Amino acid sequence: MKNYLKLVNFEISRFFKLYLILIGLTIVCQLIGVIRVSKGYMDLAEKVMDKNQLSVSRFIEQYGTFSVQRFVYSEWFLMSIYIGIAILIIYVFLIWYRDWLGKNSFIYRLLMLPTERITIYFAKLTAIMLLLLGLITLQRLLVLIEIQIVNSIVPSDFRTYSYGISNIDIFVLLYPNTFTAFILNYGIGLIFVAVLFTAILFERSYRLKGIFFAIVYGVLSLGVFFAPLLLNGFYPRYFYPLEIILMGMVTSFIVLGSTIWIANHLLKHKIMV
Amino acid sequence: MTVKFNNRDPVYVQVIRHFKEQIAKGFFEPGQEVPSRRELANQLKINPNTAQRAYKEMEEQGLIFTEGNMPSCITKDEAVLKSVREELIIEAVDLFLGSIKAINVPLSEVLQLVEKKYEAESGETEESI
Amino acid sequence: MIEVKNVHKKYGRKQVLKDLSFTAKKGEITCLIGINGVGKTTIMKAIMALTPINSGEILIDGEKIRKDSFEKITFIPDTIAMLPQMRIDEAFTFMADFYKSWNPQRAEELLQFFKLDPTEKIANLSKGSMAKVNMLLGLALDVDYLLMDEPFSGIDMFSREQIAEVFTSHLIEERGVILTTHEISDIEHLIDKAVLIDNGEVIMEFSVEEVRENEGKSVVDVMREVYRG
Repeated sequence: MKNYLKLVNFEISRFFKLYLILIGLTIVCQLIGVIRVSKGYMDLAEKVMDKNQLSVSRFIEQYGTFSVQRFVYSEWFLMSIYIGIAILIIYVFLIWYRDWLGKNSFIYRLLMLPTERITIYFAKLTAIMLLLLGLITLQRLLVLIEIQIVNSIVPSDFRTYSYGISNIDIFVLLYPNTFTAFILNYGIGLIFVAVLFTAILFERSYRLKGIFFAIVYGVLSLGVFFAPLLLNGFYPRYFYPLEIILMGMVTSFIVLGSTIWIANHLLKHKIMV
Repeated sequence: MTVKFNNRDPVYVQVIRHFKEQIAKGFFEPGQEVPSRRELANQLKINPNTAQRAYKEMEEQGLIFTEGNMPSCITKDEAVLKSVREELIIEAVDLFLGSIKAINVPLSEVLQLVEKKYEAESGETEESI
Repeated sequence: MIEVKNVHKKYGRKQVLKDLSFTAKKGEITCLIGINGVGKTTIMKAIMALTPINSGEILIDGEKIRKDSFEKITFIPDTIAMLPQMRIDEAFTFMADFYKSWNPQRAEELLQFFKLDPTEKIANLSKGSMAKVNMLLGLALDVDYLLMDEPFSGIDMFSREQIAEVFTSHLIEERGVILTTHEISDIEHLIDKAVLIDNGEVIMEFSVEEVRENEGKSVVDVMREVYRG
């Protein structure tokens, strides 16, 4: 347990500099974005209202109000999100490969630590999840700030007031309303990363053959995981929703359990430096 | 102390030989403490197991002795010291005879040369003192 | 004692290790000798479970390797087993953090012996210094067995002499050492046992002093016979 925590701490500190840069970039991008979009809208409003001698309500009829959507689907904002996602996905792979590649043979040290090798796997998994949670927390805070900025630039008559962000799809996914939904969404995310990790370990154990194993394994896992939904597709209205959920939980456990078991086996007996 | 070891004779044998030489030449005094096996290994740059073996053999041959828990010392036994000197001299003589046997010169002439050379060199050393 | 018993390993189509067996005792320095690519590094990695084997058994003091074994045996590969961005003292902290067998006094002693600056980043060190740090990380652990892969390769002569000094000192005493090299003549007088390997098999396994005594041959002599004859 102690070694697990030490390794988690280690993994986080390794990535920390880059993480701070990412956070900085996200903040800058989104703040620039929100200011530009808000200002842009107001400038447009002024110009049009002046040119065509429109009142506020006529303008709104033609051009719509300023809603959070306008900002969230703007380039700056989307770009910051995409960069964040991209870097996280890249790091899911890099967190393993960086220990093998180049002049780096740190993997020797990791595999020779007096601890169960699966601890390394758990530590890296935890690190990724913590990084993800950090980013979404940041996003949550940023949105609050951004709303304030919008409020200061765009007068209330131009705005559709939305309490936070609950009607935007991606945000519904990331910030579910209930605790169970939260566990569900991030649990699935965790399983997904776990399966990816095991796929990486397949490649590191069997190299070229390993990529093939990895793909087969990945597809199999997806299949098992989505089996309840597929089943429901074939026999609609046969299962109660609760039954589907329970089946989903079972398949989740099966996939998670097997992925950890396989990762442990690979790390102990098949891995190659 | 840098001793050059060849790789064909057992190193422990070479170590013993080195000790004998040092004793015969007077660099190791009778009763003088010898380095521990670890120190010896470090000084001569050899494997500690070899140093161990050498010491064991030397103990058996009576070249060194150990009293209780004290560090080992060079023997004080005159008979042993004498035989060591003799052994080395005989070796040198054998080597010498082996070299000159091939050259067909009467022994008396050879001995004369040896005496002359020996005196010349002692004379040099005496002058330089 | 480390026992390698009938180990087979295939990599792709190539049979890298063929029914390979040998032993290495604690308190002795065993040297694996062979040309490049013959399997020496693979054996050491296999002992450390850093590469899989197809069949055979490897026992360390009678047991198969487990996580606790890494407090008893360590491997010094031919590349540095630490993050290059770390400073030497940070590497020490890391080791102390994870290994009960890390000996900080020994680490200090070695630091001074090798004349290394603990505030230096590992990546900025010369090749020779990096090799010394690598060796240090292994030697400062109070382990029973040390595996070293080509500890002398690509290093200047003086660094090499320093490293060779380690072998005759208390740092190695009582421990079992397995090392690989292809520059055997430099260190012949230091090793207890030689294991000649060719093509993934053990050709000969012998005590070097015995062979000197009984046959008057050096290790290089034996190698010549074995590899040419």
